[in-house]
Amino acid sequence: MLARMEISVESLRRAAALGGFAWTDAELEAIRPAVQRLLESLEQLEHLPLGDVEPTTQYRVL
Amino acid sequence: MADLGRMIATKQVSPVEVVRVHLDRIAALDPKLRAFITVCADAALESGRAAEADLMAGKAVGPLHGVPWAPKDLYSTKGIRTTGGSKILADSVPSDDATVVARLARAGAILLGKLNMHEFAYGPEGVNAHYGDTRNPWSAEAHRIAGGSSSGSGVAVAAGLAPGSLGSDTGGSIRIPASLCGITGLKPTYGRVSRAGGLPLAWSMDHVGPMARSARDCALMLGAIAGYDPADPTTSVLPVPDYGAALTGDVRGLRVGLLRAHFTDVAAADVRAAVEAAAKRLEQAGAVVDEVNLTQVTHVATASAAIVASEALAYHAPWMRSRPQDYQPDVRERLRVGAFVNGAHYVRSQQIRAFLTREIDEVLARRDVLLAPATPLAAPVLGERETMLGDGPSDVRAALLRCTRPFNFSGHPACAAPCGFTAGGLPIGLQVVGRPFDEATVLRVVDAYQRLTDWHTRRPAAA
Repeated sequence: MLARMEISVESLRRAAALGGFAWTDAELEAIRPAVQRLLESLEQLEHLPLGDVEPTTQYRVL
Repeated sequence: MADLGRMIATKQVSPVEVVRVHLDRIAALDPKLRAFITVCADAALESGRAAEADLMAGKAVGPLHGVPWAPKDLYSTKGIRTTGGSKILADSVPSDDATVVARLARAGAILLGKLNMHEFAYGPEGVNAHYGDTRNPWSAEAHRIAGGSSSGSGVAVAAGLAPGSLGSDTGGSIRIPASLCGITGLKPTYGRVSRAGGLPLAWSMDHVGPMARSARDCALMLGAIAGYDPADPTTSVLPVPDYGAALTGDVRGLRVGLLRAHFTDVAAADVRAAVEAAAKRLEQAGAVVDEVNLTQVTHVATASAAIVASEALAYHAPWMRSRPQDYQPDVRERLRVGAFVNGAHYVRSQQIRAFLTREIDEVLARRDVLLAPATPLAAPVLGERETMLGDGPSDVRAALLRCTRPFNFSGHPACAAPCGFTAGGLPIGLQVVGRPFDEATVLRVVDAYQRLTDWHTRRPAAA
């Protein structure tokens, strides 16, 4: 998975470009550690035994 | 607010004089505290004169008639700029009031101005590069943060610049500044109060709520703003109860769960002691207290960050493409991180959300409320990056959010209120969490605690 590898500025640049964002290498380098940490944490969520819990799509509207 | 409203209604004080006193305090103290972005002195005095005229004409008035207040500057105010604490919206003047602003105006409350905040509500520190960093009034020497994102609201109420405020709370932005500034702040149930006319941070986690000096004042404000609003599709049609009538002072027989792991047990030692003492005080008053843990709560930080980052970037994407340089640096970086959260991450995070919500519901099926620290630490010094909690060093930002955002995630109502002071004289905040749409019981517990203690009556020397 993406989070297992060291994330490079190059990979961030390509992903950001897909979203329509043209950020400089310096700007991407500044957020690279935070992105790395978040993606590694998100990867851990994949291993939780959530079974068939449906995602929240409605917020207690009564 | 309740006391002021009563004194105004019985003509013991003039609403004009009440407004003038607050404007004088703002003029004297705000250059240092930086709570206000905009002060509406002339309009407030004009409203005060109109309120007085109504009284003298014998018109029926409500409990907030003539009482001043000030909202966080992300609620639209007709004809008054609404900046969101940003440079981007520095000259934005809405043509309508947010629903909550209109409802408080209908109740007779008088708007003093608009309050400082973390830019676009995206940060728990409450700092602002465009309008100045708010200063916690409890710290005379060091510049300590007020907590955010509703930092101006926390400071204004604590320093007596406004008796009440409306904050917004996406990860703790009402309860964190309430905790750090020694005031009372309520995040109602998701759907209890309309968000229409407020700038969003993350639509599925944003809550609107009152910040004031006591549970009684919060009850008064909540009664005025709560209820269905066709302009906000998430608002509930459930009737709004009389929150003031719920404040009986009686907690006998109420079942109270003290949240241990992740919450009380990891708080700084003085915070932990104060929260445990608060639980003991409620037990002495007749509540039945036990201890409880939430098994999935450790995953909230990640899942919540993914949801907020995605939703926030969805809102800000056009400006992040056209004028990213106009954001303050920390907010710009948080928004950029959102570009790397994908759809599968978002949905997985929503699964965690459903799981945790169910777990909290089950815990609350056997209890009336839960107790926890509002923040596991007292106000840090501006710029402090790391703090020591009970389980070791922690990033300050993560620590500030730790105890509050599980209940943004789940939507349960939660109220922060003062429960003590550190040895250095900084406020400590207790958090009371209740069942969905049972703000009445949450406020009842906080009010009962405030009848038993005087923490909420203390004022910073600077004020």
